[in-house]
Amino acid sequence: MGGESRYEIAQNAYMKIVLHALKHKSSAVNAVLLGRVSPTNDVVEITDSVPLFHSHLGLLPQLEISLILIEEHYAAKGVNIVGYFHANERFDDYELSGVAKNVGDHIYRYFPQAAILLLDNKKLEALPKGKDRSPVMQLYTRDSSKNWKLAGGEGSSQLTIKEPAANAVLLDYISTEKWQDVVDFDDHLDDISKDWLNPELFK
Amino acid sequence: MVSKTEETQLSNLETQVDNGGGGAWEYLSLVRKLKVRRSDRVLKHGLSILNDPKKRSSLGPDEWTLYEQVAVAAMDCQSLDVAKDCIKVLQKKFPESKRVGRLEGMLLEAKGAWAEAEKAYSSLLEDNPLDQVIHKRRVAMAKAQGNVSVAIEWLNKYLEIFMADHDAWRELAEIYVSLQMYKQAAFCYEELILSQSMVPLFHLAYADVLYTLGGLENLQNAKKYYASTIDLTGGKNTRALFGICLCSSAIGQIAKGRNKDDKESPELQSLAATALEREYKHKASDKLSLLTAALKGLKVPS
Repeated sequence: MGGESRYEIAQNAYMKIVLHALKHKSSAVNAVLLGRVSPTNDVVEITDSVPLFHSHLGLLPQLEISLILIEEHYAAKGVNIVGYFHANERFDDYELSGVAKNVGDHIYRYFPQAAILLLDNKKLEALPKGKDRSPVMQLYTRDSSKNWKLAGGEGSSQLTIKEPAANAVLLDYISTEKWQDVVDFDDHLDDISKDWLNPELFK
Repeated sequence: MVSKTEETQLSNLETQVDNGGGGAWEYLSLVRKLKVRRSDRVLKHGLSILNDPKKRSSLGPDEWTLYEQVAVAAMDCQSLDVAKDCIKVLQKKFPESKRVGRLEGMLLEAKGAWAEAEKAYSSLLEDNPLDQVIHKRRVAMAKAQGNVSVAIEWLNKYLEIFMADHDAWRELAEIYVSLQMYKQAAFCYEELILSQSMVPLFHLAYADVLYTLGGLENLQNAKKYYASTIDLTGGKNTRALFGICLCSSAIGQIAKGRNKDDKESPELQSLAATALEREYKHKASDKLSLLTAALKGLKVPS
């Protein structure tokens, strides 16, 4: 059970999913989180992310295909799916939707410390105004009664970004509209020459 | 709904205008024609024309259309002052206009003044009860405030009167999918396929919903509609090809458990798999091995 687990997300994994959300401002979007449990201190390290869809998030066929291909790719590197990211369609919607919970439940079956991250729009909006180093997302984990629970309160350090300056780098990318270059699985399925691994995104 | 050629045309124009190569008016007209949402660019390029008196007068009567287009784009980008200015210009030119009245209502929406917007729309509807745009604005307002059930109710009422509005059926289907109400979403796509049976997008969406619903009958039907999508798109639709493979695999699993003789055409899935491998070899060769492994996992012969 992941109730008190700590999660650390790598800068690139973090920025990729926020930029993806910014690319599709008027839709709900989601992404899959990949990583491993650190052998030294039991922290769940989210080392990478793959943006999935920006339309019809609730349909199974594309989700199944994407998970099969993603798992296939990352298993070869000893990395597995450790969580799910979701951004709601509306600015002030902080509810975890049925779709998000279902995907989370599915991931939980294979990885009991699975996390759901929900984009915090108000925090994202406030980013340029402050020096907040904490991630602009809420962390949900499964508790003993099989419900997804919001972790910690203000200033909780259960979810941290590995590189402390990540938000500053993110703001920089936002100002140059870097989100245009993010490719998700929807884009790939529409044109398979587009690479959902986004290999050149932060080069 | 935008075709691939239209999409390419749009992004070419977009790059051209963004890089100072001119063609702003063509771009804005294309955006209007295709009804796509490119509000930040419309605002930027539209204003550059409107703020230049020479460019503005060269538009002739189209000037007012542009004011309207920029007003809406400005509201989408929360540049409410710009929107207000555009609307003021239109009010002066067309006093008593219902079309301008709609824009005023939208501005109230953009400000979050829901009750006032609702009042404005209601009074406009009194004089014009069949104004489709206003009916849809009310649905949009309900959705924006998070009243999804109200939005669904009103959208259903709207479709009872305006049942030929395909965009409304699609919107309703998408709302249902987001709420995981797949049976209801299927109904919407059935309506769309009935009225426009040659549009592959509807066949594909319907198949996706049927697959999501699951169960042997739905999976078999999903496979049929993936097949019709492939037919209508000359075999070029990647999602439909994957759909065939997923269906075959899922049907195979169910049929195995029931010892049923599922004499499905195995050729269809192997054809789909071959088509996918050919496509990946051609356009995404670095992902080919992933695809082959995935297809093997789905036990699809190729």
